[in-house]
Amino acid sequence: MFRYRIQYSKRGSACYISHLDLIRALERAFRRAGLPIAFSEGFNPHPRFSFAAPLPVGVEGLAEVLEVEMKEPVDHQVLAERLNGALPPGLVVLEVADVPDNAPSPMAVLTGAGYIVHLDEDDLPGPLPAEAVRHFLSQEKIQVTRKGKDDKEKVRDIRPGILKLNVLSQVNGLTIQLDLKTGSTMNVRPEEAVDAFFRYTGMSIDKADLQIIRSGLF
Amino acid sequence: MEKQLEKILRRVQKPGRYSGGEWNMVRKDWHSMCVKMAFAFPDVYEVGMSHLGLQILYGMVNDREDALLERVFAPWPDMEEQLRKTGLPLTSLESRRPLRDFDIIGFTLQYELSFTNILNMLDLAGIPLRSADRKGGNYPLVVAGGPCSFNPEPMADFIDVFVIGEGEDALNDLLDAYLASRRSSEGWEDLLLRLAGFDGIYVPVLYRVEYNDDRTIKALTSGSEGVPALVHKRVVTDMDAAFFPTRMVVPAIETVHDRAMLEVQRGCTRGCRFCQAGVIYRPVREKEPETLLRHAGELLGSTGWGEISLTSLSTSDYSRVSSLISELIKRHGPAGVNVSLPSLRVDAFSVDLAKEVQKVRRSSLTFAPEAGTQRLRDVINKGVTEDNLMDAVGAAFSAGWQSIKLYFMIGLPTETDDDIRGIANLARRVLDKGRMLVRVKGRLKVTVSVSSFVPKSHTAFQWEPQNSMAELKRKQLLLRDLLRSRGLVFKWHDTRSSFLEAVLSRGDRRLAGAIEAAWRNGARFDGWSEFFDLGKWLKAFESTGIDPEGYAYRRYQYDDVLPWDHIGAGVSKKYLVREHRRSLEGAITPDCRGGQCPGCGLCATLEVKPYLAGGETVVPIPDTIQ
Repeated sequence: MFRYRIQYSKRGSACYISHLDLIRALERAFRRAGLPIAFSEGFNPHPRFSFAAPLPVGVEGLAEVLEVEMKEPVDHQVLAERLNGALPPGLVVLEVADVPDNAPSPMAVLTGAGYIVHLDEDDLPGPLPAEAVRHFLSQEKIQVTRKGKDDKEKVRDIRPGILKLNVLSQVNGLTIQLDLKTGSTMNVRPEEAVDAFFRYTGMSIDKADLQIIRSGLF
Repeated sequence: MEKQLEKILRRVQKPGRYSGGEWNMVRKDWHSMCVKMAFAFPDVYEVGMSHLGLQILYGMVNDREDALLERVFAPWPDMEEQLRKTGLPLTSLESRRPLRDFDIIGFTLQYELSFTNILNMLDLAGIPLRSADRKGGNYPLVVAGGPCSFNPEPMADFIDVFVIGEGEDALNDLLDAYLASRRSSEGWEDLLLRLAGFDGIYVPVLYRVEYNDDRTIKALTSGSEGVPALVHKRVVTDMDAAFFPTRMVVPAIETVHDRAMLEVQRGCTRGCRFCQAGVIYRPVREKEPETLLRHAGELLGSTGWGEISLTSLSTSDYSRVSSLISELIKRHGPAGVNVSLPSLRVDAFSVDLAKEVQKVRRSSLTFAPEAGTQRLRDVINKGVTEDNLMDAVGAAFSAGWQSIKLYFMIGLPTETDDDIRGIANLARRVLDKGRMLVRVKGRLKVTVSVSSFVPKSHTAFQWEPQNSMAELKRKQLLLRDLLRSRGLVFKWHDTRSSFLEAVLSRGDRRLAGAIEAAWRNGARFDGWSEFFDLGKWLKAFESTGIDPEGYAYRRYQYDDVLPWDHIGAGVSKKYLVREHRRSLEGAITPDCRGGQCPGCGLCATLEVKPYLAGGETVVPIPDTIQ
């Protein structure tokens, strides 16, 4: 098998494609492009895709990661061009690289994700107090509640998962840059962190107003 | 507005329903198009995108240089709430333009229980509901087509123009006439008069209805010259040469039928007496296998779908079906493409086909004997015997299927409790057969799914009353008791929605007020059990002085004027009367494919003949081949 690591962006109308639908969309794009993807064995063969971290519906991704296995080797440039010619609007291949056979899955090596979060002026509850970010981050614990699968609310401390929080701009609303832990050990969602930040300042926001972009995975 | 729309998309369950941007979507330059049409599907995206008619008309109109066709679907209640809260109008998927900006809005009438969604979509678009309130107001022309336009009367007040019959035959005429009318700066009335002159175009405002004291119709007449008393349906005469969309829009979110659709033929000549589709899509017109293979190749290449479904009312009747399937598998199987068959006839031949296409037999096979006894199957002209069914299920169990679904109807004309018991007996015989042939007995399952008979216009049973809801319920309970057994599963339809379907499918113009009132009471997505509420409708009927039972339960006389008598499906009323009489005698009428013409009158009326691949008009019917 021939493994390739594809870095791609998912923007515009494509950000409303859910993760499951994305798998289907990619499979079809590979077919249209005539690229020899490998399929799993078994009753219901599915393409050998491996993703770094599913992107939530409505969040744009600037540098997402997908690994694919092919039945035959394909030149990087050819792969990128043919796939780009077959992807629905909003999905674009940025880079293709080889992956050694024994490399761990992208999911396994991933620990963090960067985000840009924007809130429109109209949706801002008020001006940020001076030093708000520094005070917020200087807390020892930042507790949030999240509903578990059993519908029970769980209290978690997300402070260790917030690696970076910066105000990038306060022109035309508020733009925040975030680096958050992601992956199996600790996973913090950007809307959780931003919501906690506003609550700390004594203000509340509607999470649905947040425009979220995932700028990268690391 | 774009930005506001993005904002509400983050607040709804499945934003992919409204975002557009799918592969093969066509977005044309708005300003350079002479005529802009929206294809409005009055159900949710996942249902609408599974509809072949949408793909055909989408490709056909967008192939024109002077026209564009964009899609809009009924917003799910969460989206409706957002639209109403923000005051945003309903917009198309392609250019995100308000529906009001289009020249023509074309609704498809696939099922009666989507009528309230049409009113809701017009309202969300800021367009007055009634045709009378739109004239002269510079609103889009509101057009409707599809099976329910064969009894357009309940929706007559809301729709400006109905297209009767096959859209790919009529739509270009409609667009050309619209353009010509605009170029000569005609007013609203002249536009409608011009359109009414075309075959298959029904303009309800140009017809007058008079009623008798007993609420039946006295007369329905066209007032003006050039407006036909009987509107004939449109039929594609050469299916092989007809437009077929090989660049179908590939939905971005999973839909009900998320696969390539290859229409192998149109029409069905089996002549089941309850079946409206069998009449309105007559005659049978097969496509040539070479055409189908070419289309399949283009379609799979342009879409990337991994499955292709051979669609039609009865695909196993297609005279070249076996060779078509093997050739498709030969050509596309190596690339991992599956072939699927949506509907199966009740015989062993069909099971062979299913075996061919399904390498892994995990899913269940469905057969539709429709009625439980031979007597009743003869009444409905189903043309299926118990031996056919036992052969078919025997073949299926032997081939590895462990789960069989049987589809029946209750409330059919002349039905007695013996017929109901016949359903249970048949199901038990199937189960017994399975016990003999299926090795892992624990997985053996026979599902009996029962719907309620709804009399439909243009069928031999159009005069027949529907069973009362109480009677249908009683029959369902009787059946439930008879089917209590390990390995048997019983499923039934809500009798209340079948009742409403009957009211609307046999209704006349007087229902308009009630439909509007039901919508005002909050009726939406009536075809969805989670939303359907008969109470809202009963209130609406009461407030508008409508007796719904009078519509569903009335037995019409042969000489009654029926609400749809001015709509010509090509099949003569005399033939339907004869078929109805024959049904009561239990006399069966053979399929005209075998060469015996039952004299339905369609070929003569519409000057179109049945067409079978290779240019024949008669072939032995495949179920006589063993």
